Amino acid sequence: MNEAAKPELAGRIALLGNPNVGKTTLFNRLSGSRHKTSNFPGTTQEAVLGRITVDGVEHQLVDLPGIYALNLDSSESSVCRAVLNGNLAPEGEAPAKPDTLVVVADSTNLLRNLALVAEAARFKLPTVVVLNMVDLARRRGIHADESRLSEILGCPVVAMSAKSGENVDSLSGAIAKATAPTAAVGDSEADAERWADETYSAIAAPAPEDIDDDHDALTDRLDRAFTHPVLGIIAFAAIMTGLFWVIFSLAAYPMDWIDAIFASLGGWVEATLPEGAVRDLLANGVVAGIGGTVIFLPQICLLFLLISLLESTGYLARAAFVIDRVMRPFGLSGHSFVPLLSSHACALPGIMACRAIPDRRDRLATILVAPFMSCSARIPVYVLLVVILFPESPTMQAVAFAGCYIIGALAGLLSALIARRSFLKGKSSGMALELPSYRAADLVLSLKTSAERGWVFLKKAGTVILAISILLWWLGAYPNVGPAPESEALRTQAAQVETVDPDRAEQLTAEADILDERYATQRSYLGRIGSTIQPVFAPLGYDRQLTIGVMASFAAREVFATTMAVQVAGTDEIEDEGVQNAIATAQRDDGTPVFTTATSWSLLIYYILAMQCLPTLVVTAREAGGAKWAFLQLGWMCGTAYLSAMIVYQTLRATGLG
Amino acid sequence: MVSASDPTQPQPVTIPLTQLQRGRKGRIALADDASPDSAMLRAMGLKPQAEVRICRLGQPCIVAVKNQCGGGCRIGLDRSIADRVMVCPAD
Repeated sequence: MNEAAKPELAGRIALLGNPNVGKTTLFNRLSGSRHKTSNFPGTTQEAVLGRITVDGVEHQLVDLPGIYALNLDSSESSVCRAVLNGNLAPEGEAPAKPDTLVVVADSTNLLRNLALVAEAARFKLPTVVVLNMVDLARRRGIHADESRLSEILGCPVVAMSAKSGENVDSLSGAIAKATAPTAAVGDSEADAERWADETYSAIAAPAPEDIDDDHDALTDRLDRAFTHPVLGIIAFAAIMTGLFWVIFSLAAYPMDWIDAIFASLGGWVEATLPEGAVRDLLANGVVAGIGGTVIFLPQICLLFLLISLLESTGYLARAAFVIDRVMRPFGLSGHSFVPLLSSHACALPGIMACRAIPDRRDRLATILVAPFMSCSARIPVYVLLVVILFPESPTMQAVAFAGCYIIGALAGLLSALIARRSFLKGKSSGMALELPSYRAADLVLSLKTSAERGWVFLKKAGTVILAISILLWWLGAYPNVGPAPESEALRTQAAQVETVDPDRAEQLTAEADILDERYATQRSYLGRIGSTIQPVFAPLGYDRQLTIGVMASFAAREVFATTMAVQVAGTDEIEDEGVQNAIATAQRDDGTPVFTTATSWSLLIYYILAMQCLPTLVVTAREAGGAKWAFLQLGWMCGTAYLSAMIVYQTLRATGLG
Repeated sequence: MVSASDPTQPQPVTIPLTQLQRGRKGRIALADDASPDSAMLRAMGLKPQAEVRICRLGQPCIVAVKNQCGGGCRIGLDRSIADRVMVCPAD
């Protein structure tokens, strides 16, 4: 794991540059598939590590966050400064000054990029300057003299195109010859700007008159359409509908395969291993737990693939301004949109996507409210309850289903508003975003991003989800109380009638199994916890069984339907019409129905609003930078859910509607 | 506040970026009021003397920053930010 400890890594090479200069494309080209993602300790900034061979020796390659200047008061800038000063290194690595600094500059916008080169030159590290995207610059009639720049700077300069691969090979030779820049750039920002201006005049060839007017006119037209108050929203809605349609329709296939694979794996474990605790743990704890995690992988990979594809076209920066208009009244900005949208699939990638929000308060507010968006894990619960509430009317079912999503989104936006008016108070700074040139989508880069995100999800969230599944399985399966007292009689009876009436015997055995299962569930640790906690949920109308369902849902919400099925019917085959019916008509210990209208509405509201997902809390604590944010999220969401569900239940009861 | 022009010359007229007509060009006159915002804008390329062209007015305001020998970048600005960027209209 610790790459710095490996003796064959001769040194560290850091990549520095403005956003959108093709730094990541260059990183991928240099390091191939050998890379890993970690964090800079104490920050939310991501560190991507790879390897590059220079002169036959392997070096470590570090991709730094994209920045406009080193002196800015932003988390990205301070991370870059600390790394260049040798005070910070990616997690698990020893802090040391980079042995070589590669500054990546955009040839199509050289003047601004030279200012960053000037700032980097002050660190006097062995440096190579890359003039990237020369192919694009050439097409636009822009020429710069790289050997003149190399003379002025006193370090190697390489002109290349990381995207097409042009001249990338000569970079490792230049890295081997890297020297500390000798250019005197002065100490102040004005000095760096002046140096950039003078250097630019010395190396740039005058452009033919208005060479890129056609290109500009087209970009102008596209920009005006995509940021138009009406057209922009329509374009945005169409693109996002397409995106989600693709995610939900395409992800369904791999999700089914994964489901089938894990189901047969569980079956195989059950058939192969001897009956006992080990078999139960493997089949119901480990296999089910891993399966329950991996099943979200296709959605996460697809989501990041599509968003990354959109981003590489340059569209997303325009869309941010469209959404900014919608979000601003709620104290959020356009930056919050993609994270909140992603949260409708799963809050984990949504919260991870919050890293792209530059303003700290905006980012925290978005992280806090992201889990209010109805994630796909809530769907099974919504379906179950909506069908119980409106058994005769598919139209009402659809309306109620859509209503769940709207209630969740509204609760999230209102919560953001409250947060931004109280403890995250402060004027949200207006957006200033670079609008990159429109380009064809970069499939290679997007596939890579998607694979990376998927891997991070599997590695970090996967371990947590797995641990919870095993714990929950254990709480549900133990203590092993043996058969229910009433089932003994049934089994004896079954044995007696077996020869004369096999059907009847089978029916009796099945009844006995159900009794045993229900008995075990009631007496399990989880069951006892349910009985103890039930008074807390009594004002919401939940009995012991529903309380267990709600508690079990804390591991993953979709567990609710399964838990209820196990409790009421002693089987987890809830797809079956009969079992659905059995849940709907389930009875409490006193014989009254479990699901009255008031209870069902109360449950539905509770599931829309409550925080019932430990992995989300873990990711919130990590991304927001402290456990207090996770506790706040938990308290806020569960408090809102509890109060709202109670009001709904008590109102329906009082008015006689429930 | 830093004025970009030579103090011995008569001061050219400066107006907020948002008052420049669409398609018109100007030079950034004032891009520094010591706020973190303006340091960021300056680093993004909206520094004194930078040549800009208005591509879209309103919310957002879009400007193209043109380098003298070709190339440049486009920046989308919230109207409240664009209002505070002062330019000298060219021609």
